[in-house]
Amino acid sequence: MATDAMAHSDPSGRTARRSRFWRPQVIVPLVGVVIGILLIIGPFLATLIRSVLVWGEEGAAVSAANFTSLLSDPHFYQAIGNTLICSTGAMVLSCLLGFSLAWVVSRTDMPGRGWFEIANLIPFFLSPYVGAIAWTYLCAPNSGLIQNFFSDTFGISLAFLDIYSLGGAIWVLTLFYTPYVYLFVIAPLRRMDAALEDAARVHGASFGYTMRHIVIPLVMPAILSGALIVFVTSAGLFDIPLALLSPRGIRTMPTEIYSAVQYPADFGRAAAFGVLAMIVTVIFTLMQRRYLGRRNYDIVSGKGYRPRVIQLRPAGRVAALTLEIVYIGSGVVLPIIALLMVSFSSIWTGRFNSNFLTMENYNYVLFGYDLTQRAIVNSIQLALVGATVGVVLAVLQGYFLNRGPARWRAWIDAALSLPLGIPGIILGLGFLILAIRTPLYSTLAIVLIAYVARFFPFATRTVSSMFLAINPELEQSARSSGASWGQTMRLVLLPLLKPSLVAAWLMLFVIFIRELGATILLYAQGTETISVALVLLSERSFGYVAALAVIQLCLLLGAFVVFRLSRASLAQS
Amino acid sequence: MRFSARLLAAGAALSMLAIGGASAQDIPAFKGLSDDQASDLKAIIEAAKEEGSVSYWDTVIQPTTNDELSKAFQDYYGLPGFKINYTLSSTSNLITRVDQELSANKITIDVASIASPPWTLERAAQGDIVEYHSPQYEHYGQIFEAGLGKDGYFAFNGGYIFVPMWNADNLDFEGTSLKDVIGAVDPGRISHGDVAKSSSYLATFIGQRQVMPESFFEDLAKMEPVFILRSEQIASGLVTGEQLMAYSGMPTRAFQYNSKGANLKFMLPEEGVVLLPQNTFILRDSPNPNAAKLWVNFILSEEGQTILAANEALISGRSGFQTPLPEYSPAIDTLKLIKVDWASINTDDLQAARKDWVGIFNP
Repeated sequence: MATDAMAHSDPSGRTARRSRFWRPQVIVPLVGVVIGILLIIGPFLATLIRSVLVWGEEGAAVSAANFTSLLSDPHFYQAIGNTLICSTGAMVLSCLLGFSLAWVVSRTDMPGRGWFEIANLIPFFLSPYVGAIAWTYLCAPNSGLIQNFFSDTFGISLAFLDIYSLGGAIWVLTLFYTPYVYLFVIAPLRRMDAALEDAARVHGASFGYTMRHIVIPLVMPAILSGALIVFVTSAGLFDIPLALLSPRGIRTMPTEIYSAVQYPADFGRAAAFGVLAMIVTVIFTLMQRRYLGRRNYDIVSGKGYRPRVIQLRPAGRVAALTLEIVYIGSGVVLPIIALLMVSFSSIWTGRFNSNFLTMENYNYVLFGYDLTQRAIVNSIQLALVGATVGVVLAVLQGYFLNRGPARWRAWIDAALSLPLGIPGIILGLGFLILAIRTPLYSTLAIVLIAYVARFFPFATRTVSSMFLAINPELEQSARSSGASWGQTMRLVLLPLLKPSLVAAWLMLFVIFIRELGATILLYAQGTETISVALVLLSERSFGYVAALAVIQLCLLLGAFVVFRLSRASLAQS
Repeated sequence: MRFSARLLAAGAALSMLAIGGASAQDIPAFKGLSDDQASDLKAIIEAAKEEGSVSYWDTVIQPTTNDELSKAFQDYYGLPGFKINYTLSSTSNLITRVDQELSANKITIDVASIASPPWTLERAAQGDIVEYHSPQYEHYGQIFEAGLGKDGYFAFNGGYIFVPMWNADNLDFEGTSLKDVIGAVDPGRISHGDVAKSSSYLATFIGQRQVMPESFFEDLAKMEPVFILRSEQIASGLVTGEQLMAYSGMPTRAFQYNSKGANLKFMLPEEGVVLLPQNTFILRDSPNPNAAKLWVNFILSEEGQTILAANEALISGRSGFQTPLPEYSPAIDTLKLIKVDWASINTDDLQAARKDWVGIFNP
């Protein structure tokens, strides 16, 4: 009461609070946060509202019919079951492979480990859809390059290896999600105190025992973090099921949502599916966030601890090298070879035939077909503009989350990380429902908005981690020397943030170039992207799709090279 | 920059002068027209020039064929450089797009060609298709009578059929009846158009269901077919050897692959074929209605039909049309057609037929 009375009797206090609120360092970052939250709430509410609306003769009515119809449909459970099998399989295999690769690169004297350390990241930059397409050329049961090679050379039939199966999808998902686990695990492995392993070995523990009881438990938080990301992301990925499972009628959650908005379209069913999937994935994302928040590396610190490089025996070296060659071969080399072979063939017969050698496919997609030309231009535009908008948002949000008012910060941080768990196709559906009766429908702008909404948290997290490393006293010094907030941002903070801004920008650029899930429901004539063009061409000609895939690959590998070069150059500077 | 801009402006002015200067008699579209007809056409061409482009969606025509069509269209009407935005889509995707645009009241598609007669008839009844009496319709009387088009609304730019097809390099097959397909290859080595997702395969199933017993389809299902959506993918499955037989092969694709060196064969089954007419229509509130009329007129003309038949092996519905590829696109009157009364089939019937198919094949 006394406080209230004071507040009422002290209008100047309120004025001071109000003037503090309207300062640029509060308002400008807050705008970034509000935009981020609107980008999440908009499509979510649109999907939620659409999911509870049913149209009858008397117009729309609120009803749970979409949910009851969905939950009573056995196809729904098939789709969920297949999605769980795929994402669980990919998660387990990615963890095994990611940990093994990180361990041989960071802790052993395997030859060429400097090269493999970089090469292991290449699949992270490539398009999963293109990878899946390439694997259909490699491993179609009766016409794959691998099957034909074994059949022609050794007379062995490998027709039982069917890429158009849940096993095939798990294999390709594993190839593309292994770098996620690898990235999580390699840092703690590098910083691990070798004395703990030495102590175990001195007391008679075998290599396997030391791995099981010392090394793996120590990096378990990192493995589990990577596992959760792989699980959530692969469950929502549209690209690989579209290429490998849809052709055989194997249902998954993302392809079912896509089918629901195809003729005869049932937006209510799609929205109900989307809402249920969104709730589950958001729960997983928050769990992962909570888990990461509690993650603790007590064992890591101190100059006295240096990771010991394990001297492998010849058999061990061969095994480690084989593992790397199989991974890089399967994830990068073989798919590229397959794409090149198909792209240079006038017709594809399952074997490379020099009689069918042609450049026509490249000529066609680059110069002969309006749609692919448009798609390349659109993708580059979206990637350039989207990455820039995403990084600007990330700087504003990063500033708010690290320098803004402490109140609500944790909640806002959690809210802004939600798109990490929302599958692209569901977000695309939300924006489609939201925009269908607005001028934004069938424009490039709605695709751009969906991209930014889906992926800005990646940039925000990258920039935010850099904010953490910058001492606020630097800014305070600038301010006390008379610099305005804008000048402090421009002359102090942004130069210090530069490495993370470049990394975030390149990451978004790469993601936007290959994005498919959010685009497939939003594109219209004139707003096709490379990934959409790949889907459209994949229905028509192996040669055209392979040629366009090679072009996309060149763009992505180019971005990867720039990423490496910029990292080296920024580290030097 | 300034110099380039001036150069461009000068180029554009010269082009306009050239178009304006060309007499109507020099333009093929005006040949044989009365003064009134020529005057009408001139007005439409002038209005189309103002519009500047036309947006056309189709489910069969390959973009290379469209390039040829576009060039011929420009020559036909004396519209050099006129922009034709073309998109090749699947039938279901195109129907989804059109439905979405109609419900959003934001039409970007001017002309669409879709082989789903019940859907097209339904749209015409609902006023979503522009009533337009193309001068070319006088050559399509027989297809209107056969219920494969609707006078004043749409004819078809070409028809196609789905028939058993195989790669003669991989399979020695000499069947003449649909029944001969049963057991012709091992289980899992035959493909079938995905009726669950495609309106055109569904239409074929509806027709074949009239002449084949349920047991035939049950036997076909026992061959564990792989269900594929696009006709191009069905053909490429035969070329790679992934499948040995295609139940829903499209002669158009056989022609296109064979011209590149493949050896695809197909049969016209003695039970008959279901002709799928690619109904070509103008959408209501089309952004370029005059250009759309010119496109419809051209694609149904002798010139347009010749390009389509020669490149896509489509079956023409134009009276008296001489097909350039009789082995791939036989004349319509030489085909044994399975008669389907599309006008009597509504959405519920379609859903029931699809359910019937799903019950037999369990995809």
